[in-house]
Amino acid sequence: MSRFSKSILAVALGMSVFSSASAVDNFHGVGRQATPAEVKAWDIDVRPDFKGLPKGKGNVERGNELFEEKCASCHGSFGESNEVFTPLAGGTTKDDIKTGRVKGLSSGELPQRTTFTKVATISTVFDYIQRAMPWTAPKSLKPDEVYAILAYLLNLQEIVPADFELSDKNIADVQKLLPNRNGMTTDHGLWPGASAKKGGIGNGGVPDVKNVACMKNCKPEVQIGSTLPDYARTAHGELADQNRNFGPVRGTRTLGPEAAKKAADASTLDLATKSGCMACHGVKNKIVGPGFNEVVARYQGQPDAESRLIAKVKAGGQGVWGSIPMPPNAHIKDDDLKTLVQWILAGSK
Amino acid sequence: MGNPMKIRAANKDGVTEVKVLVSHEMETGQRKDANGAIVPAWFITELVAKHGDKTVLSSEFGPSVSKNPYLAFKFKGGAKGDKITVSWKDNKGDSRSDEATIG
Repeated sequence: MSRFSKSILAVALGMSVFSSASAVDNFHGVGRQATPAEVKAWDIDVRPDFKGLPKGKGNVERGNELFEEKCASCHGSFGESNEVFTPLAGGTTKDDIKTGRVKGLSSGELPQRTTFTKVATISTVFDYIQRAMPWTAPKSLKPDEVYAILAYLLNLQEIVPADFELSDKNIADVQKLLPNRNGMTTDHGLWPGASAKKGGIGNGGVPDVKNVACMKNCKPEVQIGSTLPDYARTAHGELADQNRNFGPVRGTRTLGPEAAKKAADASTLDLATKSGCMACHGVKNKIVGPGFNEVVARYQGQPDAESRLIAKVKAGGQGVWGSIPMPPNAHIKDDDLKTLVQWILAGSK
Repeated sequence: MGNPMKIRAANKDGVTEVKVLVSHEMETGQRKDANGAIVPAWFITELVAKHGDKTVLSSEFGPSVSKNPYLAFKFKGGAKGDKITVSWKDNKGDSRSDEATIG
């Protein structure tokens, strides 16, 4: 066993058997254990059960001052601005505060979703402001300032009165007034861990979609239901040229097989130009390498010409047509190569 | 009576900036409800802002103004502690007046 895999085994054992402290010891000479102060600075999340919520308080008036100073330039004085980000406040009614579900979200009355029409947990807003705001100086707000700004936002949303003071003591009461507090469902497979019945949060990983392939009543073959009548085929010129040139659906060739072949050849010439062939080869003349007409003359009547030529074009070569080498063309797609070689052997028309 | 407006007024270097968020449905009278009946027009027709007794903004609104309109304007003069009064009337004869202090 190599040294490398031994050390991986040691790490795996360390993780599973020993405490986290001894796991760190297994990384000899790599890093050091995080100090309690570092962990504390990093561990700032506030959870829906308010675990991690710092102590503090702030009132609406102070929040107004702070908001005007630090937030209003992007969010607007009333959190109404839609210029930089979607609005913070608005869109909820007194009924929503009672029911805990924003009606406008499902009725389609809302012209625009706002933070407070969507958010289900006040801790999320606290955490977000504390963690990420102001945009230019995240984590610069003290807990009291976050409480004040949040109080101001709640007042804008008409959840709390203008003389309200938000603190770690009463934030749980405010949670019970949040307009969309019942708007979050956890019955989804993306939540990690055990299902809600077994003490987790999600449904234990059952996917939201079933993705069962339908293998019943399949049609045996495609039946064309209708076609353009003959008298109308040319009414709008060549339909195929008017459709997008990507994706599975093409317009039909309406100008007949002659025009179709011409167009197909033109596109192969384009492909040849794009692939770089035409830099060295002419259709009817030698440039650096042989003209395509010379190639056809040499390989005529050879049944394996196509596969040999494809291999030659792909790998490049030297000596068949003189000392100037042909560079390898591995970057060209196999399908394109095949099209090009068939086109050359068919006379490059 | 309508819902209260939110008004902020701040004086800086002799210029007072007033921001108002009006709470009003502002129905144009052109929308139809789910049954196909026209939702009756209901919009602010007039909005006046006063600094003390002096009118600093007088405006005529119409159905093209959005729901819950936001309005910001500046005027020269005004001092900290002065009163700003904003009032509106709508086409149903309703009106509302709110007051704020310049900060």
